[in-house]
Amino acid sequence: MHSCAICSPLASLQACEFPAEEQSPSNQTSLAMMQEPQEMVEETVTIEEDPGTPTSHVSVVTSDDGTTRRTETKDMSTNQKVTKVIKTITRRRYLPVTVTETLVVPGGSITPQSKPSTPVPTTFPTTTPSPSETDPVKNTKASKPLVTKMVKTVTTRTVRQVPLGPDGLPLPEGSSPLGSYTDSIDRRYLKNGERYITTPQATSTLTRSYNNYNDSYSDALPPDLGGSQYGGRHYGLHDGYGIGDATDNYGSLSRGVNFRPPRYPYAMANSYRPENSYGTLPIRKDDYGHVAQPQVPMGSSSVDLNRSQPERFQPEPYGLEDDRRSLGPEEEEPYDLEPDYSTVSRRQGTLPGTNRGRTMREPLRDGPRIRGYEDPIEAELIDERHPYIHGMYPAPLAQPERGSMASLDRLAGRRSPSIDSIRKDPRWRDPDLQEVIAMLGHPIDPVKSNAAAYLQHLCYENDKIKKDVRHLKGIPVLASLLDHPKAEVHRKACGALRNISYGKDHDNKVAIKNCDGIPALVRLLRKTNDMEVRELITGTLWNLSSYEPLKMVIINHGLQTMTNEVIIPHSGWEHEPNEDSKPRDAEWTTVFKNTSGCLRNVSSDGAEARRRLRECEGLVDALLHALQSAVGKKDMDNKSVENCVCIMRNLSYHVHKEIPGAEKFTDPSVLHAPGSAGPQRKKKDDAGCFGGKKAKEEWFNQARKNGENDKNYDTLDLPKRTEPTKGFELLYQPEVVRLYLSLLTESQNYNTLEAAAGALQNLSAGQWTWSNYIRATVRKEKGLPILVELLRSDSDKVVRAVAIALRNLSIDRRNKDLIGSYAMRDLVSNLPSGQQRPAKNLEEDTVVAILNTIHEIVTDSSENARSLIQAQAIEKLVAINKTSQSPREDKAASHVLQMVWSYKDLRNALTKEGWNKSHFQPTATGTPKAAKNGKPGYDDTTLPLMEKNQDGYSTIDQRDKDCKYKSSGDGSVDLTEREPLKNDTNRKHYVRSNRPAVKLVDACDVKPQPVDSWV
Amino acid sequence: MSFIPGQPVTAVVQRIEIRKLRQGEHLILGFSIGGGIDQDPGQNPFSEDKSDKGIYVTRVTPEGPAEVAGLMMGDKVMQVNGWDMTMVTHDQARKRLTKKNEDVVRLLVTRKSLEQAVRHSMM
Repeated sequence: MHSCAICSPLASLQACEFPAEEQSPSNQTSLAMMQEPQEMVEETVTIEEDPGTPTSHVSVVTSDDGTTRRTETKDMSTNQKVTKVIKTITRRRYLPVTVTETLVVPGGSITPQSKPSTPVPTTFPTTTPSPSETDPVKNTKASKPLVTKMVKTVTTRTVRQVPLGPDGLPLPEGSSPLGSYTDSIDRRYLKNGERYITTPQATSTLTRSYNNYNDSYSDALPPDLGGSQYGGRHYGLHDGYGIGDATDNYGSLSRGVNFRPPRYPYAMANSYRPENSYGTLPIRKDDYGHVAQPQVPMGSSSVDLNRSQPERFQPEPYGLEDDRRSLGPEEEEPYDLEPDYSTVSRRQGTLPGTNRGRTMREPLRDGPRIRGYEDPIEAELIDERHPYIHGMYPAPLAQPERGSMASLDRLAGRRSPSIDSIRKDPRWRDPDLQEVIAMLGHPIDPVKSNAAAYLQHLCYENDKIKKDVRHLKGIPVLASLLDHPKAEVHRKACGALRNISYGKDHDNKVAIKNCDGIPALVRLLRKTNDMEVRELITGTLWNLSSYEPLKMVIINHGLQTMTNEVIIPHSGWEHEPNEDSKPRDAEWTTVFKNTSGCLRNVSSDGAEARRRLRECEGLVDALLHALQSAVGKKDMDNKSVENCVCIMRNLSYHVHKEIPGAEKFTDPSVLHAPGSAGPQRKKKDDAGCFGGKKAKEEWFNQARKNGENDKNYDTLDLPKRTEPTKGFELLYQPEVVRLYLSLLTESQNYNTLEAAAGALQNLSAGQWTWSNYIRATVRKEKGLPILVELLRSDSDKVVRAVAIALRNLSIDRRNKDLIGSYAMRDLVSNLPSGQQRPAKNLEEDTVVAILNTIHEIVTDSSENARSLIQAQAIEKLVAINKTSQSPREDKAASHVLQMVWSYKDLRNALTKEGWNKSHFQPTATGTPKAAKNGKPGYDDTTLPLMEKNQDGYSTIDQRDKDCKYKSSGDGSVDLTEREPLKNDTNRKHYVRSNRPAVKLVDACDVKPQPVDSWV
Repeated sequence: MSFIPGQPVTAVVQRIEIRKLRQGEHLILGFSIGGGIDQDPGQNPFSEDKSDKGIYVTRVTPEGPAEVAGLMMGDKVMQVNGWDMTMVTHDQARKRLTKKNEDVVRLLVTRKSLEQAVRHSMM
């Protein structure tokens, strides 16, 4: 199969699948880059002393990779001292990039799997591995970035003897001691190469750590924004929140709540502490955990808390979003902390630290706040809070968690006054999975939604839990909740399904399908206007679409709905534009991204899928409009654009065979229709078929005609259209060439580049009128230099797609000449030399594609063969032929060599450079004939599969080809110039049989032998 | 390099000056030509436009005067010492090149790579 991919030049690419996405676009790339030790833990311990206290001290810490154990020493040395120990643990976790899931996470863009994006070889889209999906879903808190860094700030304060007097209070934020800590911390981080020195000292601990995290990104991000990278997070949090909604609040809170406080998830995490499963759950608990705890218990230190907190907190703007983000990275740690917290006093102790942590972070929030939280809602929330919480936290944020916990507690039948106490209560346990699933059917809606949200959280990046949910029959229940009238319920159900649908375990996807989840999702998409729900739905569909067998199901149920509900409205395209309405630009929303990703995946499901998509009303129009608007706005690097181009590429695949009525464009009678230049050119291309057989006059006339046509190339008249093209016809109109070329020029996204080149490849394949136009248009639009330039790309797949596109384009004679002269060096420079691969280290497929392209260019053009020699290619080709480990490269190279040697007029030059015939003969295979026979096996796929008239192409016989070409392309090229391989008897025979025709011509018309005079 | 009869031809040319090598009474340029208006243009392997009846360099002697001067196989000769070579017979061209009384010939030649170089720089 792979052969097809490679070669079939004509073939086109199919796109592939893309995994679903992820929500946060943010930093993926950078993530990918970070390669580092698996995990690093950095701990910084700071000691704070209260002013006025004589001594203190402390310390501690430790780190190891896996776990952090923390020792805290409290200082008891002196009376009346309050010592504060602040420990900052920074944990960075580098997950290997290879892990799909991981990849998925933050940046959707990285394709989780390398494969997914690959074009599918021509024929089968199916080949595409299902890429995984990414969890787009990441929901919840869970979203674990590849790199996880966790920062913990633990502050322990020991109070001895003396109750905290006013003086005893820990320093107010910003007080000098703190400042000093910060400094030290900063320094430390700086050593690590941090670039950012955050100005506000307060920021330091947390921010810093983020910065570290960000090293790679540093340039791009303003320090304060460190948090912003975690865009993905942010979503996750939302979801997480969901869990948090307190039953009580729930009704009124609706959405606002969700957005709200990040804390809540943490609280959940702590309180729920699921056993094993939790280990993996990313929970960012630490900070939060601490925070949360304090709220509840009013322990001995509570006084202290109350006092100090308000101050600290107030300054916080609560840019929730940022907060979340920044916190995002810290996950998973909470458990470590547990031990310490077990005691009340400790916990309480921690509070201040936490607060400080927050305070410090504040600066972060100002900038990045992406989504404003809704103030009104916040206000509402506050009102609902319990009084004591109020006191402690002016900010409403903390509350939701409480609420949620409370509700869960209630469910579990263990209601306790405070979370804290719950946590401590040995009797407390988290509901097990079965119980959670049972809660999905609870009569009270908030319980359902909380349970769903909790499931979503549990499933985040935890395949085992997903599987367990499936086994426990949770999926049908969730699917049935999609039709629930209450937004909160179907939203949470959707979130859970999205997470469940993500992952390599296709059984989960199938389970969703089997309970009619797909139609339910589509129904909900039609029904809801809630953007978040739409994101979740389309994200789920994207995930589902990565699994081959589900593609058709999605097409059947959701294609038109996705198009009408999402693609068209977001693309800015209008069916019948009013005269006064201005054309709208596309909006690159998450919904659009998800939907286009889903369509991208399903578009690779074979001819039927392509047909359905092409015929889906408005789809092609809208996609084109979106792309045009992307080009107009110079905004071409995003995922949505990538998805759109991939869909276009896939739909362009085999248009010349699959479009209704395509036959008439290839029908010779049409070709000869008067007045159109296309057909004539076409005829020229066809000439190969008749070349040798025609009577001489005809032959000559034809040649002459061809010459004229050559001149006409640049003034090619496109057929006049009576009415505007629409629908799938747009796919192959020459106008799209400019669009793809713009993308090829401007985009920095390799996938987009590859897809755009692949689209041109697809369109220029085949023998029908439109591909002739396309090939000529690419030239007229000055597309060849653009493509050639891309041969220098660092991306393997881009090089491959471009090389194959050039090959198809060179079916046009003029293009062939231009490509031969302009592109040869770049093509050759991509070839490995000897054992060494070029710097780019291209894959075998790419090398073979390039070799085939070279073969195509050199065929029938001794001028191009000469360029090839001048580009120092012979050495490389011979080396490949001799040493390559790959039989395919080997064969492809030897074909080129044979072709070169067949130009007799070049032999002189070749011999001069020290080559002889043996270098150009097929090596291992013995007789040339054998080699040729061997060819079809792999080679015809590499050659353009032109079914109709291009037998020459797919046939094995080199000389056959030669002859045909000679007679066809060049018409009158001197046969003798190209000598067939000597030892090939077949060939001789062939030549002999052909000669007469040629001779005839020669004899009658012209001097038999061209004069060649030495001077 | 294709042209339309009756229309001026535009070509990118290179000036090449070849000093003939004297061997006995022979003056040697060290290349061979093909083409001419009396020849079958269709058999010219070097022309892009198979109706081009111009004079082409078909071979170049290694290390000969022509090669030293930079002449290359496949070059199309446009002028010889100022004489047009695009519309001459093969023999006229040969004679222009082989004047016994001229030790130096100045050629204007064009070749694809020149054209490409220019086009490339403009593209």
